[in-house]
Amino acid sequence: MNRTVLIIGLLIVAAIVAILFMGLGKDPAHIESPLIGRPAPGFALKAVGSGETIDLTRYRGKPVVLNFWATWCRPCWDEHPVLTANAQMLGSQVQFLGVVFQDEESKIRSFLEQRGWAYPTLVDQAGKTAIAYGVGGVPETYFLDRNGNIVAKFAGPMSAEDIQSNLQKAMK
Amino acid sequence: MIALLFVLALQLKVPDAEQFVGPPKGVPITDVAVLDRRTHEVGALLRCPVCQGLSIADSPAEMAVNMRGQVRELLARGYTQEQILGYFERSYGQFVLLKPKFNGLAAAVWILPLLAVAIGLVVVVSKAKKLEARVVPPSNDDPYLARVRELVDKE
Amino acid sequence: MTAALGRYLILASVLVATSGAFVGFAAGQKRSPEGAKWARRFAYAFAALMVLATLVMEYALITHDFSVQYVTQVGSTQVPMWVTIVSLWSSLEGSILFWGFILGVYIAGATWLTSGKHEDYMPFAIGTWLGCGAFFSFLIAGPANPFVSVPNPPLDGPGPNPLLQNHALMIIHPPMLYLGYVGMTIPFGLAMAALLRKRLGHSFLRPLRAALLLPWVFLTIAIMLGGWWAYEVLGWGGYWAWDPVENASLLPWLTATAALHSAIVMERRGILKGWTITLVQASFLLTILGTFMTRSGVFNSVHSFTQSSIGPTILVFLATTLIASVVLLAMRIDSLESEGNIESAASREGMFLVNNLIFVVLTFTVLVGTCFPLIVEAMKGKQMSVGRPYFDAMAVPMGAALLFLIGVGPALPWGRTTKRDLLRALLPPVGTGLLVVAIGGILGVRNAWTLVTLFFGGYAVHVTLAQMWLPLVQRMKRGGSFGEALIDGQLRRGRRRFGSYIVHAGATIVLVAIAVSSTQRTSQELVLTRGQTVNAAGYAITFNGIEDRAEPHRQSTIAHFSVAKNGKPVTTMDPRMNQYATMREPIGTPAVHSTLVSDLYISIMNIGLDKQSAGIVVINTPMVSWIWIAVLLMGLGGLVALIPSRRAVYAVQPQSDAAPSLGTAQS
Repeated sequence: MNRTVLIIGLLIVAAIVAILFMGLGKDPAHIESPLIGRPAPGFALKAVGSGETIDLTRYRGKPVVLNFWATWCRPCWDEHPVLTANAQMLGSQVQFLGVVFQDEESKIRSFLEQRGWAYPTLVDQAGKTAIAYGVGGVPETYFLDRNGNIVAKFAGPMSAEDIQSNLQKAMK
Repeated sequence: MIALLFVLALQLKVPDAEQFVGPPKGVPITDVAVLDRRTHEVGALLRCPVCQGLSIADSPAEMAVNMRGQVRELLARGYTQEQILGYFERSYGQFVLLKPKFNGLAAAVWILPLLAVAIGLVVVVSKAKKLEARVVPPSNDDPYLARVRELVDKE
Repeated sequence: MTAALGRYLILASVLVATSGAFVGFAAGQKRSPEGAKWARRFAYAFAALMVLATLVMEYALITHDFSVQYVTQVGSTQVPMWVTIVSLWSSLEGSILFWGFILGVYIAGATWLTSGKHEDYMPFAIGTWLGCGAFFSFLIAGPANPFVSVPNPPLDGPGPNPLLQNHALMIIHPPMLYLGYVGMTIPFGLAMAALLRKRLGHSFLRPLRAALLLPWVFLTIAIMLGGWWAYEVLGWGGYWAWDPVENASLLPWLTATAALHSAIVMERRGILKGWTITLVQASFLLTILGTFMTRSGVFNSVHSFTQSSIGPTILVFLATTLIASVVLLAMRIDSLESEGNIESAASREGMFLVNNLIFVVLTFTVLVGTCFPLIVEAMKGKQMSVGRPYFDAMAVPMGAALLFLIGVGPALPWGRTTKRDLLRALLPPVGTGLLVVAIGGILGVRNAWTLVTLFFGGYAVHVTLAQMWLPLVQRMKRGGSFGEALIDGQLRRGRRRFGSYIVHAGATIVLVAIAVSSTQRTSQELVLTRGQTVNAAGYAITFNGIEDRAEPHRQSTIAHFSVAKNGKPVTTMDPRMNQYATMREPIGTPAVHSTLVSDLYISIMNIGLDKQSAGIVVINTPMVSWIWIAVLLMGLGGLVALIPSRRAVYAVQPQSDAAPSLGTAQS
């Protein structure tokens, strides 16, 4: 029995199997946000419809649900009624905000008019806000606490439970 | 109306790199050809968050196009590559850097191959020496066979 | 009914393979000819069952039998027939069935070709093969079952992934890849047999080498087809992104190539037997690792199949075969050792050792780079990327080193030489190397690594051609015509050597073409309005308009361009954006105009809303077509080397000690 071969071989085997085993069960498409726990990047963007400029700091003191979406994004269509319902339910306790990038205002308007317009939707400039937040795709939602810090990020369309559980963190 | 929009536009504020990485530390690039080239070079180092594995320089996705535009603007304003990469790393995490950084655990990915080459060289050289030193017992063949062996070895 | 038939066939194959494996190992241990015969029968039976099961699945696909679950996943009455046939391997369950099919065919073929020969080893080999066969049948029977019955069959299905319907290369890339991948099981079985037999006799080297070379040829071509497909279909203008699944296909190729080279030293000097066996084992184990990477969902990749429970099962198989391979190797490697030696390290033998070093380090680097994000995430919980810039930085010097070896290796004589002979062998090609660099410089190459590659490339071409030319000249000197020397000398008798130099020539061109196409590439983003002409990449490109075309399975928006050079029209190019019913984002197809000099590549970025303007990317990539052609050349060289020639006949003139003329070469 060649001990060198055995030991080196088994070490390599152990390393490979351990690494692959640890990878199982993790979703490689899920990316952690480095901004969690840090202040949300500030912005002041134009709202669809009213045309007024809304600054994020306006909502300091309330938890904020910041949802990045677009009309060309199919999963966003599924998520929209959930967000609308929650916005209406939570009323003035929580501020919902939508940010759309790479889209047309006329399309956004008709979408919201058809499907529900419960909270302000803002138009991003050249995707810069999205980049500052580390948005990879749409829909992605950030949960901000009363002090304007990001406490959670959710990628993909949310269900009611997803909103509720993340809001817990924002409400603390 | 236009004036109103103008006024409104002035009040718009988008997050800017300056908030996160400070003022530009380099020289603004004005030459379009150089700007194109540098945008492509820096873009090749940033990962498109949507597509698997492609850089934003190569990716056709909306997000990648936006990010390319941002890189281009920052380069034009004089931000250095390090600052730009730092800005994106701040929002997206180390995930967005296609070239692993040379600090912390990530440094291992650069060192391990070099270590492998070094160890490999040692192993190969010592094995070669061992093989060279080996003495093959002379076989008692007849001269024909010996000659054939010699010729075959020369091929 | 069809589904049930499929299930029974697969269950039978699990039983047959498992029993056959036991029979094989028992027959080998007892050295029983009767047992060996039974092992062979089990091998044929396993193959027959896998072939039948695959035919049943194809039948179900072609007849759109939606009572079979796999057909409901990938079948569709709306897609062309070729897509239906090809959908066998388009999704996970079907692809494992396809794996089993190819494995069955390989096992049957290998069993038949070795029938009655190498009786010491073959039962062990068949045992190993059927053991692997049992695993894959088990996968098909259980976790990856395509034959599940659907109680209320739908009327239609979604069809295979639209990305796979975009290009005809999809027909040939997966089968080639499987032929390469799965084929590595055969030499693995032979290697395990040698370890179990505690011997690797000289006569066994030939089947081992052949068993390694055939899948190598397929894998080489498959990797190229993968790159070509990415280039033609994905739209970013590149052919290799160091994506985890791409790397998975490359890893066994690297070790197999290393094994082919060390096998030559093994044959000549009797050394490196244990090492060659290790490389053969690695080539197989890396294919299992590769299939894990593709199917487990652990790696973020364009190619990944959807996540499923199959990952853990494959990992268990991988762990088992890894441990079995290591333990058996450790137990038997010392019995394999022979008393061979090398005369001098500064010889061709020495260069083979360096060759193996580089291939192994490259394999290690690619493996580490691919798995590193997993390690970091497990240890620190953070996510990081190891992308193209890293792999390119590592691969470029190693590729240059390999190119250096392709030149210097064959230039060096075997065994010991004098310093004078050494210089005489190594100096002349320098001139050719410098010439090629000069040509490159004149044509505008400024990148340092590319220039180095050009130098080594020129050097290697000189050496390779000289090595091919020399025996021809010698043959002709002894009174043959050129044709005779070529056909009889090289193609009929010297195939192995001749073939390997063809492979080297191809590899040289590939490496040079990769260097040139990567560094000399230009890319521009343009927006054109209808009727506008721009000058880009040396061509005059005119935008003629947008066309919307509806096909049964997709909606396409096509942008029409006319391309002219120096005033003369060259071609039309029509990149498109395809919207498939089943996908939410459109998939672009670029337009590619290939010439030997360079490729013009147009890809749509966006279409103006009024359909009067188009944003495009225009890419000019020099020499990229040479990559595809040269890899085919490599495959051809491999095939030439593979065909067995007659056994060597040595004619040594007793009187004359002059020209070392051996009329024929080795087999």
